[in-house]
Amino acid sequence: MSVSALPQPLQSREQSFWHALEVLGCYLLGALWILPLLYAVWMAFHPAGYEVRLDLTAPLTLTNFIQAWNAAPFARYFLNTFVLISVILVSQFVICTLAAYAFARYDFRGKTLVFMLVLIQLMIMPEVLMVENYRTMVKLGLVDTVWAMGLPYMASAFGIFLLRQAFLTVPKELDDAARVEGAGPLGVLLKVYVPLSRPIYVAYGLVSVSYHWNNLLWPLVITNSVSTRPLTVGLQVFSSPDQGVQWSIISAAALMTSAPLLIGFLLFQRQFVQSFMRAGIK
Amino acid sequence: MFCISGKWLGAALLGAGLNLGVAQAAPVEISFYYPVAIGGPVTKIVDDLIARFETANPDIKVKAIYSGTYSETISKSLTAFKAGQPPELAVMLSADLFTLIDEGAIAPIDDFIKTDDDKAWLAGFSPVFMTNSKSEDKTWGIPFQRGTTVFFWNKDAFKQAGLNPDVGPQNWDEVVDFATKLTKRDASGNVTQWGMQVPSSLTSYWLLQGYVAQNGGTIANLSGDQTYFDTPEVIEGLQYWTDLALKHKVMKPGVIEWATNPKDFFEGRAAMITTTSGNLTNVKANAPFPFGVQMLPEHKKRGAPTSGGNIFIFNGTAPEKQQAAFQFAKWLTSADQSAEWSIKTGYIAPRDDAWNTPAMQAYVKEFPGAAVPHDQIPYLVPELSTHENQRVARIIDDGIEAALTGSKTPAQAMKDAQQEADRVLKQYR
Repeated sequence: MSVSALPQPLQSREQSFWHALEVLGCYLLGALWILPLLYAVWMAFHPAGYEVRLDLTAPLTLTNFIQAWNAAPFARYFLNTFVLISVILVSQFVICTLAAYAFARYDFRGKTLVFMLVLIQLMIMPEVLMVENYRTMVKLGLVDTVWAMGLPYMASAFGIFLLRQAFLTVPKELDDAARVEGAGPLGVLLKVYVPLSRPIYVAYGLVSVSYHWNNLLWPLVITNSVSTRPLTVGLQVFSSPDQGVQWSIISAAALMTSAPLLIGFLLFQRQFVQSFMRAGIK
Repeated sequence: MFCISGKWLGAALLGAGLNLGVAQAAPVEISFYYPVAIGGPVTKIVDDLIARFETANPDIKVKAIYSGTYSETISKSLTAFKAGQPPELAVMLSADLFTLIDEGAIAPIDDFIKTDDDKAWLAGFSPVFMTNSKSEDKTWGIPFQRGTTVFFWNKDAFKQAGLNPDVGPQNWDEVVDFATKLTKRDASGNVTQWGMQVPSSLTSYWLLQGYVAQNGGTIANLSGDQTYFDTPEVIEGLQYWTDLALKHKVMKPGVIEWATNPKDFFEGRAAMITTTSGNLTNVKANAPFPFGVQMLPEHKKRGAPTSGGNIFIFNGTAPEKQQAAFQFAKWLTSADQSAEWSIKTGYIAPRDDAWNTPAMQAYVKEFPGAAVPHDQIPYLVPELSTHENQRVARIIDDGIEAALTGSKTPAQAMKDAQQEADRVLKQYR
C-alpha cells in the first residue's frame, strides 16, 4: 500500500486512477471484514435494547460480560483450552517435523505409498472417524482427558505435507555442508531445516491454534467434565435455539473467548502476514 | 494377540464380579447427558435437582453431563454407545425415537416397571406425550421437557389498530383480517410493523404440523414409515401459510429465523407471532408492552404439535446401573420435580398431577399465560417422527422453504418432498 501512495512523475493519469481504485477496494474489503467484529463489540458493550439501534448516545455497560462470565466456568475453560492447544501444537511440531524430514530427504522402500496414505488423510473429515476414535480412546482409557481431545489431531497430514514441501526447497548443498562439518541427521534437521522453515512453522502454528481454539464437536463428544472441557463448550450454552438468541451476551462471550487470539494476532501481525506470504497459505 | 485378549477378558470378568460385590456398599454411578435448548441457568437447575436426588438416594451418584444442543446430544450419545461406553440415560428429542430404536441403543421402559407405584407413575403421563414415546406396544421414552406452539399478540398494537386488546384471533380468517389491520407501512411503502410472523428456519415442519392439524389432516403415520406430505390437507395448510406472506402480504416474506422472531415481537416489528411455549418465560420477562397469549387459532378444528425432549435409558450398561437410571428418571419426572422443572424453564409439565401441585397452581395464578399450553393439551398431535427422522425432516423443511420463498408452489413443493421421503422410507415398510 505504501507503494501506491508514492507520487511518481512518470505515472500516467490512467495508472494512478487504477491505483486509487485498488486502494479503495482494499479499504472496502477491509471494512467488510471488520464489520461483524465491530458490530459484536457494539452489541457486547450496550444493553440488549440497543442491539439493532445504532444510537451513539446509548449507555455503555459491562453487564453482558459479567453475565456471560458467570454462565459457565470460563476461567477453568480458558486454562483447559490453553493446555489443549499447547499439547497439540508441541506434538504436531515434533511429529510433523520428523515425518516431513523423512519424506523430504530419505529414500526408503514404499516411501511414495506411505506418503500417499498420509495425503489421503487430508481428504477424510475427522467427524467421520468419530465413533472409531471414541472406541480407541475407550481402549486406551483416555475418555474425558486432554489427551483424548488432542490425540486424533497430532499426526496432522496437512502439517507433514506443508513441512515436507518446505524442507524440499532447502538447498541440498546446505545439508551437505552441515554433514561435512560433522552434524548428524538430527543435527542437520535442527540446525539447517527447522531454522530455514521458521515462517512455515509460524503459519502452520497459527492455523492449528485457531482451528483447535474453535473446535467444538469432538471435544464435546469425548469429554464430560468441567475440568477437561474447552472454551467452545462453554460458549455453546448460549446458543439456545428454542428461545431466541441473546445477541448482546453471545457477543460479549465471543469477544471474551477470542480475545487472546485477537490480541496475539495484533501483536505479531507483521510476522504472521510475512509467514503466510512465504508459506503460501491463505 | 488372541491369547492376550483372552487374559484381558478373564481379568474383566473377574473385575465385573468384584464390582457386583462392591456395589452393595459403594454408590452406583450413572451418567446423564442433557442438552440445553433454552436460555437461563439450566445447568444450575439440573445440578440443584441432582443434589437433592442424591441426598434422598445415597446409593446412587448421578453425573450430569451437559452435551450441547439436541443434535449434538444424539451425536455424543450414539458415538459413545457405538464405542461401547454409553451414558446410562440421556435427554434427546422425542422425535428421534425410531432412530434410537433402529440403532438398538435404548431399552424399553416397560422392563423397569415392577411395582404398582411404577405403574401409577407411568400411567400419569398425558397420552399425547406418550405417542412419540411408544412403538410396537412398548414404551421407550419418558416425557420430560416437552413443548408446543402458542400464539402471542401485542396488546398495544391491537389498541392502535382499533382491535379489542383482550381477544386474539380465533380462526384462520381472523388471523388474516387482524394481521391486515396490524400491518403498518410508512410513506414510501416499507413495512414498519408486520401483522403476523411464523418462524420458518429450522424445523419448520413443526409449524406446518399445526396448520395441518387445524385443517383436519396429518403429515405422517405413527409407525414412522409413511408421510402424507402431498395430501390436500397438508398442501392447503402450506398454502395458507405462504399466502400470509405472498398473497396477503401481512408476514415478512422469505425465511423467518426462530432466534430473531421473539426479538421482532419485543421490538414491535411483528404484532402477532407463533412460537414455542418455551418462550413464555422469555416473553414474560422481555416484552416491554402488555401481551396476550392463547392457543393456536383454529380452522376446521383446533390443533398444535408437541415437541421437546424425552429421557431415554441406554442399552449396553450393567443392569443395576440401568435400574438406578430408571429410579432417577422416575424421580425427575414425578409430580413435584416435573412442576418445578416446568416453572423454572417454561417447558410443559407432561403429567396432570404436576399441574395439581400447590407450586404449579400458585404459579398459574400469578401468571395465567402459563396455563395456555396445558389447555392446549387435548388438541395436540405428536411431532413428526419417522425412521431416519433427521433426513425426512430436512426434506419437508426444504419443501416448506421453497414454498415460502416462492420458488415452488406449495403443491409442487409438497409433491416433491413426498417423493423424496418415499425414497428414504421405502426400506422400512
